[in-house]
Amino acid sequence: MKGLRTSIIQEKKRTEFVIMEDYKFLFKVVLVGNAGVGKTCLVRRFTQGLFPPGQGATIGVDFMIKTVEVENEIVKLQIWDTAGQERFRSITQSYYRSAHALILVYDISCQPTFDCLPDWLREIEEYASNKVLRILVGNKIDREDREIPTHVGEDFAQRHGMYFLETSAKEAENVERLFMEIAAELMEQARCKELPRYEQNTTSLNGKTTSIGDAGICGCSRLS
Amino acid sequence: MNMVEDTPPKEENLMTVIDKLQEDDIAVNKHLDHILSKHCHVEAKLQSISKILPNIAIVRLEAEKFQNVIGHTNNLAEKVSAKVRQLDLARSRVCECQSRVNDILDLQLCSDGVATALRNEDYEQGAAHVHRFLLMDQQLLERTADNVSGDHTSVTSSLANLQQAANELRAVITHKFDEAVKSEDLASIERFFKVFPLLGMHNDGITKFCHYLCSKLQETAQKNLKAALDVRSTDKRSAVIFADTITMLFEGIARIIEVHQPIVETYYGPGKLLSCIGILQKECDKQIKKVISEFTKHRKIAKRVQLINEYLRKQGGTERVDPKDLDLVLSEITIMHIRAELYIKFLRRRIINDLEISTTDTQQRKDLLNDFEMIIKNSELACSMQELLGAYLAVEKYFMEESVNKAIGMDALDQDQQTSSMVDDAFFIVKKCIRRAISSGSIDGVCAVINMACGFLESDFTNQLRNRLRQGYPAGYLDLAQAYNALQTSIQHGRIQTSDTELARLMFLAYLNNTEVSIEYVETLNKSLSIDIDQAFQNMQTKEKGKIESCLAGMKNVALTLRTVVDYGLEQLRVSTVKPRITPWIDAFLAINHQINDDELLRYETDEPFVQSLVTNLEGFLQGFKNSLTEPNYNALIGILTAEVAARLEKVILKSTFNRNGGLILDKEIRSLASYLASATSWSVRDKFARLMQITTILSVEKIEELADYCEDSIAWRLTPAEVRKILTLRTDFRQEDIKRLKI
Ligand SMILES: Nc1nc2c(ncn2[C@@H]2O[C@H](COP(=O)(O)OP(=O)(O)O)[C@@H](O)[C@H]2O)c(=O)[nH]1
Ligand SMILES: [Mg+2]
Repeated sequence: MKGLRTSIIQEKKRTEFVIMEDYKFLFKVVLVGNAGVGKTCLVRRFTQGLFPPGQGATIGVDFMIKTVEVENEIVKLQIWDTAGQERFRSITQSYYRSAHALILVYDISCQPTFDCLPDWLREIEEYASNKVLRILVGNKIDREDREIPTHVGEDFAQRHGMYFLETSAKEAENVERLFMEIAAELMEQARCKELPRYEQNTTSLNGKTTSIGDAGICGCSRLS
Repeated sequence: MNMVEDTPPKEENLMTVIDKLQEDDIAVNKHLDHILSKHCHVEAKLQSISKILPNIAIVRLEAEKFQNVIGHTNNLAEKVSAKVRQLDLARSRVCECQSRVNDILDLQLCSDGVATALRNEDYEQGAAHVHRFLLMDQQLLERTADNVSGDHTSVTSSLANLQQAANELRAVITHKFDEAVKSEDLASIERFFKVFPLLGMHNDGITKFCHYLCSKLQETAQKNLKAALDVRSTDKRSAVIFADTITMLFEGIARIIEVHQPIVETYYGPGKLLSCIGILQKECDKQIKKVISEFTKHRKIAKRVQLINEYLRKQGGTERVDPKDLDLVLSEITIMHIRAELYIKFLRRRIINDLEISTTDTQQRKDLLNDFEMIIKNSELACSMQELLGAYLAVEKYFMEESVNKAIGMDALDQDQQTSSMVDDAFFIVKKCIRRAISSGSIDGVCAVINMACGFLESDFTNQLRNRLRQGYPAGYLDLAQAYNALQTSIQHGRIQTSDTELARLMFLAYLNNTEVSIEYVETLNKSLSIDIDQAFQNMQTKEKGKIESCLAGMKNVALTLRTVVDYGLEQLRVSTVKPRITPWIDAFLAINHQINDDELLRYETDEPFVQSLVTNLEGFLQGFKNSLTEPNYNALIGILTAEVAARLEKVILKSTFNRNGGLILDKEIRSLASYLASATSWSVRDKFARLMQITTILSVEKIEELADYCEDSIAWRLTPAEVRKILTLRTDFRQEDIKRLKI
């Protein structure tokens, strides 16, 4: 009797494990931007459904996982929340290379956070794969004291080939949408070309240069 | 009766009605008899009741009496308990009174005593009096004094006296303590430290004492730092002197806490450690800042990081830092880091113990522990360590990449080695760097270095391997033994004599091996790091485990990328060597006559000239690679060779014509070829020869009809029906119509 019970429990555990690992896609999403723009709040809102009161600044990097379903496929999002301060730069930079998507966040009520965007872009250029999906996010739209009009953010994003979205972690505005559309977009890319790998130029034997992992252009653009 | 009423009396049924009435009459009579028979019984009952009646009156009377008694008793009891209550109250009043009287008496005593004590400079005695006084309820005493008008003045004056004495004593003790600190009179410092809590000055006592401890800390720290700066570069501790200095600082604080916590706990009670640490940490921060600033200056950290960044951005050109020079400073930073981690762990453990004694409220405990974490999080120490870690990572990255590049630059190939020196060197360096990060005690640091290593291995390192292989394997006949000898003699004579082609071949094979071995190394590295990390970071939280796992998963991508490079190299080998070499050997088949008569057939029983010379050639070809390729690469080469041979053979067979004897001989020859190749490798070659075997089966049938049987046996055909027909046309002895007629 007891043996039977434990075997059932074990069975159950095993299936749970299987379910846990039963994802088809795993994507790494990295959030960057000045300290205080609301990166951690965005991640918490999405992964835990709450707006955390007065947590301290992030140290180094934080790491969360959320599994979502897109078009009946299970997608695991591995979300890396980075600290904005300069002294953590060496740590955070090391995560850029393997990121599938990079979310660059600024605070719509704080001009300096917007002014720093070119610096962040330089970092991204230097360390991230050039195929990485890049999204510009203007956070805190619930605030009355807006300093950056929507179209200014939009322009910037367009000029630098990034998707654009305005959010409020506080009011849960566009947060779910942000991550779900990233998941959908990455999934489509993955389907189109078996996942963007890092640059791998190989010379084929007849001397012509082909680029592995660059099979055709995906006309998928859900974020706009 | 009902019946009677129901049926109306009519002439016809009169008789039945009468019958019914008679029946009813009888029944009624019976009933009456029954009732009468009970009369007697009822009579008897009535009699006995009338007998009991007087008794009931008596019972009632008694009951009433009893009720009265109970009521009475109740009243009495209530009266008694009221009295008891009164008594109780009175007694407690008496007690209070007594204690008040005691207080008043003590007040007088204390008032006199404190004056005497102050005069005699007996501060402990004075403080004890004040302590006694502070325990009294002063307002109550004053009211008592008002009530007992006679004593009024004496009580109020005593109170005033004591209040004044207390203030005086507080001032004196503070002053005395400060003086003792100034004159470094340790005995007095401790003496007055114990007095503060008696005067209700817990916070002042702790603050003053801790500030005193801080001043001692500062003194020692400054001395240590100065000594560190004086240490000569020849001293064996000189390379880690700043780590030593920081260690001494942490140990100093730890010792202070260890020595003084019991005293604090005895005289101030438990739960005071948090405020002590709050003050001590401020001093620690100040000193850390100084040490780090000296460290940064003397080890030229900022300059080096800047040079490194410039070098990496411009890809060379500017002044370059030799990675060897960074090794020591990297180790020193990791020591500093792990010491800081240990120090914080020590503090946390102490705080938790102190909170466990001082409060039972779990929420309060949690809040206070959180206060501690905030002190640490916001400390200069934490910030400095984060900055140091940042610098460390930048330098470690450079060290790893440059050291590996240097190793690649000094690459050497030994005759008896399949790989060149760079691959062992590279993985030795990478492992060393990650292990150094592990020894720093910072999870984020370990993760970052793993990420850097994966990035470097997957891009720069893999590119180096790929670039070598891209140069290709020079075609043509190669005697590797000769090449090695040439290489060896040229090295011995200090000049390169061996032809460039031979060298290029050797290097190509070595790099193919390097790449293949790298895959193994990456997998081993992944496993061993996983174990090292589990050992170094016990009690990791799930989140931290997740971080590590996710970063280590990057190693799998490295292995995958390396695999594509191995495949690329093998493909080079196939195109440049395998294919051109085997083509003429197999094309010899075309020159042979496959229309064989029975006499000739006998000769072929013992002799297979085509396959024998092919096998000899293949053997010679493989022999050239056997010792120069790693086992997996060698097996892969045989795989490629087998596929190429099979494909080419198919081509030449399709260009030839056969009679049955020719087909039989071919079948035999293909079988011995397959078994030769199978014996050369542990892999199966059957699959690659499947089509060929089916072709020879077709070519060796006696009659076309046999093929129909084969089809019925439903063997897995690798040939399409069109191909089968085409092959049959190679048999000169089959007629076109028969072939067409065949159903497959
Ligand atoms: N009004 C408003 N405040 C926000 C929002 N998101 C974050 N904050 C606040 O901004 C501050 C910094 O947020 P945090 O997530 O720690 O920023 P991070 O440094 O980018 O991770 C916190 O005080 C948050 O309460 C938002 O959508 N609206
Ligand atoms: Mg944060």
